[in-house]
Amino acid sequence: MAEKSVVVVGGFALALDRRYQAETHMWVLELGGRHVRIGMDPLGIETSGSLAQLSLEPVRAQLVADRPFGQLEAAKFVGPLVSPVTGTVLAVNHAVIANADVLERDPYGEGWLIEAALGDGSAGLEDLLSDPAELTAWFAAKIAGYRLRGVIAE
Amino acid sequence: MAEPLRVIDFGVSSPLRSQTLWHAVAYGVSAGAPATLSFVRPAAPYVCLGYHRNMDEVDTDYCRANGLPVFRRMVGGGPVYLDSNQLFFQICVRVESLPPGRHQAMRTLLEPAVAAFRALGVPAALDAGGEICVEGKKICGHGAGQIEDAVIVCGNLIEQFDHERAARVLAMAEATQREETLALMRRFVGSTPVDPGAFRSTMTASYRDALSLGGREEEGALTGLEHEALVELDERFTSRPWLDGPRPPSVGSVAPRVRQVKVRAGVCTFAVEGHGALVTAGVVDGVLERVHLFDGALNGSRQRAEHALVGVPVNDAARVLSGFGDPGRRLAALLASLEPARL
Repeated sequence: MAEKSVVVVGGFALALDRRYQAETHMWVLELGGRHVRIGMDPLGIETSGSLAQLSLEPVRAQLVADRPFGQLEAAKFVGPLVSPVTGTVLAVNHAVIANADVLERDPYGEGWLIEAALGDGSAGLEDLLSDPAELTAWFAAKIAGYRLRGVIAE
Repeated sequence: MAEPLRVIDFGVSSPLRSQTLWHAVAYGVSAGAPATLSFVRPAAPYVCLGYHRNMDEVDTDYCRANGLPVFRRMVGGGPVYLDSNQLFFQICVRVESLPPGRHQAMRTLLEPAVAAFRALGVPAALDAGGEICVEGKKICGHGAGQIEDAVIVCGNLIEQFDHERAARVLAMAEATQREETLALMRRFVGSTPVDPGAFRSTMTASYRDALSLGGREEEGALTGLEHEALVELDERFTSRPWLDGPRPPSVGSVAPRVRQVKVRAGVCTFAVEGHGALVTAGVVDGVLERVHLFDGALNGSRQRAEHALVGVPVNDAARVLSGFGDPGRRLAALLASLEPARL
């Protein structure tokens, strides 16, 4: 990922070369053709707490937009990883399954979660945020909201 | 007017049902049933694994020989020993009623339990690690999970705690780790023998008031959908794929072999063995307590190295060990295999 595609908003890195699901903080990076990589942004990780373990659907599993494709455990709380798109799992990042720290350390790079082939049609991509100005405004508003509610530190 | 808090007392249930009943409630709340506080006491002892944990963390031979079933829950945390001296409670609400951060969500759902303990004369507090404690001792185990659109937090009133069995059901190859685990359990896990009837009524009032549920509660029962979910859960929780869990099994044959046991937040033991060397230790708030080392080449310096490590932060232990020559460096290398998130 090119350095210039990452900006820092309110102390959190935001990669501008990909799309985001606004509520779940999942990102989708288009790799060419209908092949995408999916991960979680640093704000989503921060609001999850100290990551302990995660599990992901296996290769060839079907992804459905807004439905879980795995589970993330932080501080004894197990919650769903929600797919931003519809498609089929092509690859699973075993490094993050073995060590969830990888996700915290490099959420836009080595901490990716799965790769997928998009389903027919838009597969949910058009519902994701992608315009850099819109992304920056969304991220800043989320951070402000989380700080106001004490979800993340000032 | 807001819906009242639904309260379901399941009474005494089989070990399996003491798990599946409240999981069924979560499916019901997700589908539109009101926020629910439930209680259940297991009729017999058993072992329960957190959602992501591997079965090899449990001494299944011991459990089988002693008639202890093992189940896997859909909420987090480690393997735990449960018995009829524990009254379980579960609070289940819809996900949108909670703050967005998990830490805040957990606090929202645990603080009423703390208030209830206090109202009963137990000076409980929610510590920085999110544990319900009295003077540093965990008095209530808990776990949480989002099941469809419901979030459930479960906990227990520990009337008596069988420390020996709680340590014995865990798989640990090293006797020194088992001894240290038992010692730390005795030190950091305690019981609060309050009247269970008073506990139920005080918890009900506390959750009703804290969650702004119209100031009312209603005795309830499972809905039709929850009964259907219960039948499915009974089957699922006893199936081999579910017991095996969602993560690949540990690869025990690859050195180094690591076993970490968490006693409570901030308190754990570990044993790391590989290439003829072994380190076992107890850790309290990130600092090493009793340490046992084995490396054939340490010779007379073993005790000196063990003493040098006591009081040292785990993160700094490799540096201290590196002062003990090649065997020290071998032992230091083993520590790199520890999972920081489980220390």
